[in-house]
Amino acid sequence: MNAEGWYLYGVVEAGAPVAMDGEPAVELVTEGRLAGITSRVSLEEFDEAALVERLGDAVWLEENIRRHEQVLERVLASTTVLPCRFCTVYRTEADLRQFLSERQDALSSALAEVAGRVELGVKAFVDRERFAAGGAQENDRIRELTAQAAQSQAAQSQGGRAYLESRRLERLVGDERARFGQEAASELHRRLLDNAERGVLLDLQRPELSGRDEEMVLNSAYLVSDRPGFERELTALARELSERGLELELTGPWPPYNFVSEELRA
Amino acid sequence: MSSDLRPDLRQQVTLLELVDRVLNKGVVLSGDITLSVADVDLVYIGLRVLLSSVATLEEQGMPVAIGDALR
Repeated sequence: MNAEGWYLYGVVEAGAPVAMDGEPAVELVTEGRLAGITSRVSLEEFDEAALVERLGDAVWLEENIRRHEQVLERVLASTTVLPCRFCTVYRTEADLRQFLSERQDALSSALAEVAGRVELGVKAFVDRERFAAGGAQENDRIRELTAQAAQSQAAQSQGGRAYLESRRLERLVGDERARFGQEAASELHRRLLDNAERGVLLDLQRPELSGRDEEMVLNSAYLVSDRPGFERELTALARELSERGLELELTGPWPPYNFVSEELRA
Repeated sequence: MSSDLRPDLRQQVTLLELVDRVLNKGVVLSGDITLSVADVDLVYIGLRVLLSSVATLEEQGMPVAIGDALR
């Protein structure tokens, strides 16, 4: 027997417009003021014992993580959705309905908090070379040392002195870059918060994970109702800070993963 | 280039970005079957290792699908 369970992607308000066509196919289970976005899955695939095995299968994981997100993005295009975590499965429709009805108030208020808003992700990076040529030159001592280093090079002066000078310059630029990164990150976060309902700071990613050589100085998410306004501010910030070596990345819109209330996350 | 916002990156969602959200965030207390904290950590660590090896391959000019990295 191939028993079926209910995979819950997310929760919307009952009666909200949701595109049901397209792949992967989903079903709406409406209970009171809420509706669950679900699809039927084989419990053989998703039952605890099977799941542990599947979790070690990166191909399966990628496919299913992407499906989870695809469904939610399709819903997000037409209404507000409260995203569930990956692999939230009910054994029966009755269990799913019971969850929706028992948690109705908490889910409804969590939905109201994010209604009409989307999550946008922002990352900021400092480009070493552009910073050394740009932002770093705002520091008098660095400017002086840069000039000296250029002179030494022009005079083709050999040996210890030029080397020490260049090492000192490198260190100063490094310190200055760290300071600039921190200041730029807090300035960015402050100004983006002014254009958002809420915002959170996320863990910074190392270069091998961010896929970029530049150092990440900000990784944050914002709950935004005025998307054009937010993007205008981000573009303005990118322009202001670009000469000094800062680069910005925008992702989203996302379902409000980072803005589901603590009560529902606990 | 008018700014450093890279429009091509806007919709290009990396798996890591997805993993960060889909596995760690969202409504979690529901479900007859959910990932336990230990499960999530396991997946997360595994995928991160996998992703960094994919990133390394891509740096070497060999773009690969995540699945391919395993074979």
